[in-house]
Amino acid sequence: MRVHIFIIMLYFSELDRKKVITNDGIFIGWLDDVIFLLDSSPKVTKIVVDFKGTKTIINADAIHKFNTVVRIAKFYTQAELAENELYVKRNLLDKQVIDISGNKIVRANDVIIHEQINLSSHNYECYISGVDIGLIGLLRRLHIENAMTRIIHFFGINMVSNFLSWADIQPLDLVRGSIRIKKEDSKLQNMRPEDLADHLEKTNELNIKKFLKLLDKDFATEVISNLNINYQRDLFRTWKAEKAASIIGKMDTDIATDILLTLSRKKREEILMGVNEKKKSAIQALLSLTRTPISKRISSEFLVADPSQTPRDIFQKIRKSASDFSSLDYIYIVNQKKQLIGACNLHELLMQQEDTPIYKFMSQNLIEAHLKTPLEMVVYKIVKYRLHALPIVDSNRELIGIIPFDNISDIIEAKFSQ
Amino acid sequence: MKKIFKVKFFIYLLGVMGPGLVTAFADNDAGGVATCSMAAAKYGYQILITLIPITVVLFITQELGARIALASGKGLADLVRERYGIITSVFMLLMVFCVNFGVILQDMSGLKSALQLFGLDYRIYLPLLLVFLFLFLIKSSYKKTEQFFFVLILFYLSYLFSAVLVKPDWGHVARSIIIPQGKLSFDFIYTSVAVLGTTVTAWGQFVVASSIKDKKLTSSDMKVSQFEVVAASFISNTFTMFMMVAVAATIFTHGLHIGGAAEASVAIRPLAGNLAGVLFGVGLLVAGFLGCAIVPLSTAYMYSELFGYEGSLDQGFRKSRFFYGFFVFQILLASLFVMQPAFSLFKITLYADFLNGLILPILFIYLYRFANNTEIMGKHRNSKMQNVVLIVCGVIITIAVIFGIIGKLFNL
Repeated sequence: MRVHIFIIMLYFSELDRKKVITNDGIFIGWLDDVIFLLDSSPKVTKIVVDFKGTKTIINADAIHKFNTVVRIAKFYTQAELAENELYVKRNLLDKQVIDISGNKIVRANDVIIHEQINLSSHNYECYISGVDIGLIGLLRRLHIENAMTRIIHFFGINMVSNFLSWADIQPLDLVRGSIRIKKEDSKLQNMRPEDLADHLEKTNELNIKKFLKLLDKDFATEVISNLNINYQRDLFRTWKAEKAASIIGKMDTDIATDILLTLSRKKREEILMGVNEKKKSAIQALLSLTRTPISKRISSEFLVADPSQTPRDIFQKIRKSASDFSSLDYIYIVNQKKQLIGACNLHELLMQQEDTPIYKFMSQNLIEAHLKTPLEMVVYKIVKYRLHALPIVDSNRELIGIIPFDNISDIIEAKFSQ
Repeated sequence: MKKIFKVKFFIYLLGVMGPGLVTAFADNDAGGVATCSMAAAKYGYQILITLIPITVVLFITQELGARIALASGKGLADLVRERYGIITSVFMLLMVFCVNFGVILQDMSGLKSALQLFGLDYRIYLPLLLVFLFLFLIKSSYKKTEQFFFVLILFYLSYLFSAVLVKPDWGHVARSIIIPQGKLSFDFIYTSVAVLGTTVTAWGQFVVASSIKDKKLTSSDMKVSQFEVVAASFISNTFTMFMMVAVAATIFTHGLHIGGAAEASVAIRPLAGNLAGVLFGVGLLVAGFLGCAIVPLSTAYMYSELFGYEGSLDQGFRKSRFFYGFFVFQILLASLFVMQPAFSLFKITLYADFLNGLILPILFIYLYRFANNTEIMGKHRNSKMQNVVLIVCGVIITIAVIFGIIGKLFNL
């Protein structure tokens, strides 16, 4: 079974001074600070809870969820700050950001934390993903984000968030009280929130082998399955056949096939030699499927949105440009490079506040297909993941079109009428 | 042996000298000259009694500002942002901006009236001076800029000559400084507060810390820098004394009434000769110009520290664009007002002093907290004695401010 890891972005300013309540409803204080591991993957390890001036450090594995309140387990354990740990508020928030030559650029206006929820293992972890260095972060801290965004929006200006990913920060300098980034100021590109998910992958790509070694094999396989196809391809190209085979053997057949299709025929056969017979035949069956071109079935009736757009903007857009669509099920979110980075269905869109930017609630784990993907596989994916439409992307992850369920229903119908 | 040590110390001092001296003299900006000369015109030598207490308060606060900057390597605004977060920072920036803007208006109008004194058309010369100032700051390094300020400070000597020319009774002067003279009235207290308020300023605290940082002094320069700051407060107030004496010996003695520093310069001429008056005018011109440079710089330093932008006189416009941008923004905004022919300095003086008085006690609380934080100060944190002195200063200033506000509210 494919495992879904959900990533949800949070801002420290939204968590600060939240009530901390145990599972059985006992109020133990207010969240005062968050402690994280000074590492290439900065995991949140502890939280500081303030109760009328008395500060307690609590192990983060007690956290159930950061929500309107911070809910923690009934039996939590207390802890102390470890040597390789830092505080968010004291060591990261409001600190000076400097470039590689020591020029001051800006200050950290907010800290971004992401929650990783593993639905199958009920594993809940939080990581520091980076710092917000943009004006929006500043306004959020002043609690005037929504009002100001509305005013600025009124004048037709779209405010862009400006983030610094953890991958760009030199962890050791944090101890010295400044956030040093690994690039020159002039080379610092503006990173938008939607790029962050991608960027996390880049971090992983750099450290991925080291990182994967730390994980148990099943979990590593899950992580690899969730990576975007380009990274999967790069990883498999560098791995030896046996290692690749052992991972392929654990993967879902459809994902394994997708990856194998990106490799050369020779490499593919080498890898398949090491896979057990049952899995091998299943993969080979999929690989040998007729290469029915799917291009004829691709529809261009889809709607894309910017990550910073709000439900209000999107509803307007739907009324304006989707009036003649035969159906509309998803809104696709693309970044500045037109790459697909998220999706959102209409139900989710309706349930959100009208002013919440879409990047905050879009799903980032997408099921997608390529032009080369066999039609059977497309049908399989649509049915397996119960999709109304499957996005088709090119090798650059740019959205080319979608294959709606309507366009493949004839295949299913044919199968059952037999 | 001892002599060699002294020579060494002197050379060292020359290298460290600057932040304290420039700030202390800038505290005697055009607004300060106006307030002090009006006070001297009203009370004569009697007002001189305020000088010693004001000098003490000034050097205690300036020394503290300097010590915090030297020990932490950070400006005050850096510390406010890092310790108290963004809401406090933005609030403080708004307050200091409003206060400083009032002071800039005072200084620019002082400059304007000084130009008029010398028969120069301010519509031409004021913009010229300001453009020169801006270009000079961008183009020159911190060191060059500081040297330029030193040259300006030399012109404060004109107050000394001016005071000598009016031939005061020096014995009376000396007695008045030490022994209280005349009657104590509510109005006298109010006037003393005004003099204190123009000398000890919020922006002075920010600018002394930021310029120490910009000059790249470190905690190893602590001793010499402390000496410089204390000496500077003393020297700067000596010139305040000369200025007050010049006014007291002429305008007060003849029972004249003046409404500003430029009027003082005009009034001195027939009483003590043209030269004394002209010298007094030169002093005002320089004070206005120095204020127009330092006060907006102080807000610009604060602004770039709070938001983490590069802000140093050592850098060109490209690198420190937010810093210089904020500087020129204040200058332009102030010129919009001052270039109006009917612009009245009087109301602005009231509002600027009022706001300055209001934020000083707040600033003192932060200074006190920083000074007692071992994380920031290390071994240079306040001793018990220093805390007592600081609290006494804080209380004096707060009481003075309350008196001042009551006085202004009820027009006493």
